[in-house]
Amino acid sequence: MSVLSQLNIIQVKELGKTVSTFEGDLTILSDINFSVKSGESVAVVGTSGSGKSTLLSLLAGLDIASKGEVYLDGEALHQLNEEQRARLRAEKVGFVFQSFMLVQSLTALENVMLPAELAGEKNAREQAQALLEKVGLAHRVGHYPSQLSGGEQQRVAIARAFIGTPKILFADEPSANLDSKNGQLIESLLFDLNKQHGTTLILVTHDEDLAKQCDRIIHIEAGQLAKIRDGEGVAAHVG
Amino acid sequence: MWAKLALRLFFRELRRGELTIIFAAIALAVLTVFSLSSVTERIRLNIEQKSADFIAADRRLASNHELDERYLKVAQDFGLETAQNIFFDSMLFVDDELVLGSIKAVSNSHPLRGKITLRDTLEGEQYDIAAAPAKGEAWLSEGLFYTLGLKVGDKVEIGAGMFTVSKVLVQEPDSAFFSLAGNKRVLLNIADIPTTQAVQPGSDVFYRLLFAGDEQILKDYYAWLKPQLRENQNWQGIKDRQSPLGENLERSERFLLLAGLFGIMLAAVAMAVSAKRYCERQYDPVAMMKTLGGSRDTIKRIFLMHLSLVTLSSLFIGLAIGYGLQEVAVDYLTRFVANELPPAGPRPWLLSIAIGVVCALMFSLKPLLDLFDIPPLRVLRRSLGDKLAVSRIHMAVSVGTIFMLMWLFSGDIKTTLLLFAGTATLMAVLFGLSRLFFSAGRKLGLSPGNSWSLAIATLQKRANANAVQLISFALAIKLMLFLFVLKNDMISDWQMQVPEDAPNAFMINIGERDVDQFKQFFAEQNIHHEAFYPVFRGRVNALNGEAFARRVSKQEGEQEQDDARSGVGRELNLTWTDTLPDGNEILEGQWFEQTDELQVSVFEGTAERVGIELGDTLTFLVNTQTFEAKVTSIRSVDWGTLKPNFVMIFNSAMAERLPVTYFTAAKLEENHVRPISRMLLQYPTVSMIDIKNNIAQVQSMIAQVSLAIGFVLSIVLISGALVLISQVQASLAERMQEVVILRTLGARGRLIKLATLYEFLLLGALAGFVAALVSDITLLVIQQQLFDVEGRLHPYVWLLGPLSGASFVALIGYFMVAHTMRQNTQGLLRKVA
Repeated sequence: MSVLSQLNIIQVKELGKTVSTFEGDLTILSDINFSVKSGESVAVVGTSGSGKSTLLSLLAGLDIASKGEVYLDGEALHQLNEEQRARLRAEKVGFVFQSFMLVQSLTALENVMLPAELAGEKNAREQAQALLEKVGLAHRVGHYPSQLSGGEQQRVAIARAFIGTPKILFADEPSANLDSKNGQLIESLLFDLNKQHGTTLILVTHDEDLAKQCDRIIHIEAGQLAKIRDGEGVAAHVG
Repeated sequence: MWAKLALRLFFRELRRGELTIIFAAIALAVLTVFSLSSVTERIRLNIEQKSADFIAADRRLASNHELDERYLKVAQDFGLETAQNIFFDSMLFVDDELVLGSIKAVSNSHPLRGKITLRDTLEGEQYDIAAAPAKGEAWLSEGLFYTLGLKVGDKVEIGAGMFTVSKVLVQEPDSAFFSLAGNKRVLLNIADIPTTQAVQPGSDVFYRLLFAGDEQILKDYYAWLKPQLRENQNWQGIKDRQSPLGENLERSERFLLLAGLFGIMLAAVAMAVSAKRYCERQYDPVAMMKTLGGSRDTIKRIFLMHLSLVTLSSLFIGLAIGYGLQEVAVDYLTRFVANELPPAGPRPWLLSIAIGVVCALMFSLKPLLDLFDIPPLRVLRRSLGDKLAVSRIHMAVSVGTIFMLMWLFSGDIKTTLLLFAGTATLMAVLFGLSRLFFSAGRKLGLSPGNSWSLAIATLQKRANANAVQLISFALAIKLMLFLFVLKNDMISDWQMQVPEDAPNAFMINIGERDVDQFKQFFAEQNIHHEAFYPVFRGRVNALNGEAFARRVSKQEGEQEQDDARSGVGRELNLTWTDTLPDGNEILEGQWFEQTDELQVSVFEGTAERVGIELGDTLTFLVNTQTFEAKVTSIRSVDWGTLKPNFVMIFNSAMAERLPVTYFTAAKLEENHVRPISRMLLQYPTVSMIDIKNNIAQVQSMIAQVSLAIGFVLSIVLISGALVLISQVQASLAERMQEVVILRTLGARGRLIKLATLYEFLLLGALAGFVAALVSDITLLVIQQQLFDVEGRLHPYVWLLGPLSGASFVALIGYFMVAHTMRQNTQGLLRKVA
């Protein structure tokens, strides 16, 4: 394996996704090729229905591609079964969703602890507490999701995403369900923590301003990769 | 406008399968109630009819004195069928042979219920017929043919009349268990009585009027008759206690009633669970409709229309399946019972429709009202309105509805209250205990790194939901265990009443000198027999010196006079013994010790009814002698056994005071009939009572009821299983989001499946254990309160409960989660997002 491919934490080759419908096969994605370096932040933008969420689920191993290859930290995702992909996610991947996706019956602290516990880490509680402090929720650790505001719930989700220091973080429209003030707070938290932990960030959004904060921006149009351009994040790195 | 929208939505919902849950629950309730009530009703009617055969009527009036002709005439005016029986003993002569026969003269309409079994010749085929002998004919029991050396067609002299022997009498429907009839029975037409000249003033004659007809008319007639009845006139029905049949009949009816109630409870729980779940699933669509401008009124109409459509269609399907099910069951049952089961009438239809409608309305109403209150903001904040469903009002309405349904079904407030209050209290206690258990566990702070820890953590973290689930699991398992154990107990109790070696014949009137010869005869013929009891006839005259006739008449207005074995005011079989007979238990005082003082032990029922207390003095009249005896004990007597039982038992101090005859019971086989007939020929005073046919009748009834109970139990088991499945399904739907998040965050399928398996295993085992405990305690109370049998604990249930609970709940849970695991994570994510 070359040094270059080691640096490329995600590598996508000829990726395509087709689903069967009543009216015949429907191609959602085709001929996608790109790679992401370790520590890089990449925004995936496009209009609704362009296929960006599907791309994210294929990159994270939540779904399987119809054709092509995906390598995640050197492991060929397309050759792994559901179980192996689950193990890979537990070890290397964190998530932030548009709809927060917190377990309703668990407290904020327990929600954050969950991935670390699943990965069998010993100091899950301490890690979770530290992360909740970082997102400004130290005083609400014992609250259930239903007792938290949308912004607070998303902050818990971000804390959960960073526990166990995953190598890659996938975020699907993280601020789309929030007002602009809370949205900005979440976005800055996401980028700050990303920098602190040196995590690779794949951010799906249709918000151009948010996308610009990333190192690179991948444009998806009608299931195809239209263009890749640098974001403002590159300047920040250089600077 | 809204109706069109409602219909469109309805069909869309149907296609999506959302409505199937609520539909299935109503249909389940309807089909359970319909099939249970119609099968039990048909079996009950059949049993009642068969039992009516046992007294050849629906009711009868018996007396030692001639009964007023007016009683018959008025009964006929009421529209009842009637018949008359007259019993007396008379000598039968054939050439030089003579024997004392037990004559029963019957009117042409006898028997009103059941059939008489006859043979045309001694060797001929036997057949059943509902008819009385023609004038001038006599039907004789087999024993008399051997004793007198007769054949069919011969002449026999009875009293002053000459009769043609026309049939061999094999069995009468109303042959009593312990009467002096037996194989010396002669059946005559009542019109021949004057010819015999056997019935004279002062003769020992026993009279019976038989009545049959509609239950309500019988009640009305009794209401007319009751004030005119005298002390020595007994009104008897098939359900009178203190007869093995009456008691068994009552027990089986109570069982079927209980089973029906449990069926309703289970269906109601299923309904409540699914109605709540359905409405919860509608939260988002309703929020969306409101957001898009749908008024509360429109939404109300749409969902009420959905509810009506679902109720109607599920009623229809439930009735159709229920009808099919009961047809299959009845078809199966009729293979085991000789006759066709009588039709059930309109009750099952009305009851099941009423219960279906009430179920649909009451259980859906509160969740539906909640649904209308869902704020449109839920479109943005999905958790808004989630708390609405768990409300005290919904609980109260549901609990009230269940109570009402049970009452509606049973029409018996005592049983309903007993069952309901017991279950409700225990559920409340259970809820508290399980909350304690789950929240106490939470403090242990297990870290969910493996399946067991995750299972326990999930159990702890969902204390409230689990407590509710635990209760419904426990309830379903409890009801099933309860019926299962009760069925086993009842059937084994019945089988114990008529064990294989039970005596089937009684020998009465054996002289003191002849006892040894009989013992020797039994030994030679290898006949198994019971002890020889001394017997004499007598009546109780006074209590503490006060004459009984007056005491009883004082209370006449308040008490039922239909107690055939009341023990007061008529002649009784009395005995003395120093050994407490089997099936008797001393309740108060002490069994006899050696003394010269005359003492008596009294059956509790008689003591209670007449007001006899320990230490009282009873005056007995035997022939012309009067005795005073002190009451030293009150006994319980198991009338359910086919053994001889006595209302009054004296101590052996009685032994020297009276000449007695002896009484024993023996088990006779087919090859003993001729030798015993010959033996009895040498002892003309000895009577034999053959109860073989009675035993066969009781056994066939037990077999039939056992079958019925087996069927009812299987229906309740199916309902119970459906409740468990719907509960697991509902809880899994709630867990779906967690499963998906766990999966996304990298939890492996094995971990999730095992965690669910262990979680349900623990929950099921706990529910099963609690169910076993509660079921056994309830059973103890119910057996004592409703079935009048001694309750006992069943250790095997305590093992069966947790085992069956754990395996059943865990299995269903595991398969359902395993099914979820096969779906792709992204697909699941879309479903819950």
